Amino acid sequence: MRNLLLRLEPIIWLLFGAGIMVGTLLLPGYLLTVTLAGPLGLLPDGALSFERAHTIASNPIGRVVLLAIIALPLWKGAHHTRALAVDTLGHHSDGLVASLLYAIAAVGSVLGILAVLAL
Amino acid sequence: MARFADPHAMQPSTPGRTRTAPPQLPDDFWSRPRMRTYLLFDATGIVYLLVGLVALRVAWALKSAEAWNALLTSFANPGYLLFHLIALVSAIFVGVRFFRLFPKAQPARIGPAKPPPRPVLHAMLYAAWIGITVVLLAILGGVWP
Repeated sequence: MRNLLLRLEPIIWLLFGAGIMVGTLLLPGYLLTVTLAGPLGLLPDGALSFERAHTIASNPIGRVVLLAIIALPLWKGAHHTRALAVDTLGHHSDGLVASLLYAIAAVGSVLGILAVLAL
Repeated sequence: MARFADPHAMQPSTPGRTRTAPPQLPDDFWSRPRMRTYLLFDATGIVYLLVGLVALRVAWALKSAEAWNALLTSFANPGYLLFHLIALVSAIFVGVRFFRLFPKAQPARIGPAKPPPRPVLHAMLYAAWIGITVVLLAILGGVWP
């Protein structure tokens, strides 16, 4: 398993790097509106209505951005959580922890692709 | 008790001529300021992982108006609001730290191309960050288009 993880390292690192860079560039704008200002009622009426949200998300650029907000934080999160586990729990459980975390990120990414294609 | 540090990470490629004690991780390693910031940076990974999974829920909720309205209602729950506030703080922490480190990690040159001076690169990252955030705020906030 460790061998496989080492072989996949370049791909995982690429997705992790994209997650930390692109994910961080996109997250404040998304978090401030959809998850904070919207539910608190601070946005103009209809800003996050279903029709408007669906129009934005089903636009080709919207689909790519939405997928980036789903998949890239998953890979950044999986890789950094793995590093945290190695630092705090030690190295012996790394194979299991890393496989589990990357599996979550991979399944989440596939579901994200299906979700944005279905819009 | 202090435990052994990761033997793979710290092992020299060839055995040295002098015998050295195996590296050990001090008990209080996690409470040292630099290490604490480093561990906190790693810990934002847990938050990012959860943010990605919640964003997946957002994408699936765009299937129908009922699901979308139910999602927005559940986001108004104090637990979700607190989590997303923590997520916002985490994203800003990651950005501030990563964009400060990014210029230092660039190669001196790639072929004939040289990266811009570090302060310029740092400023460009912030300009992109602020620009993208303003555009997203305008679009998702209902101001534009």
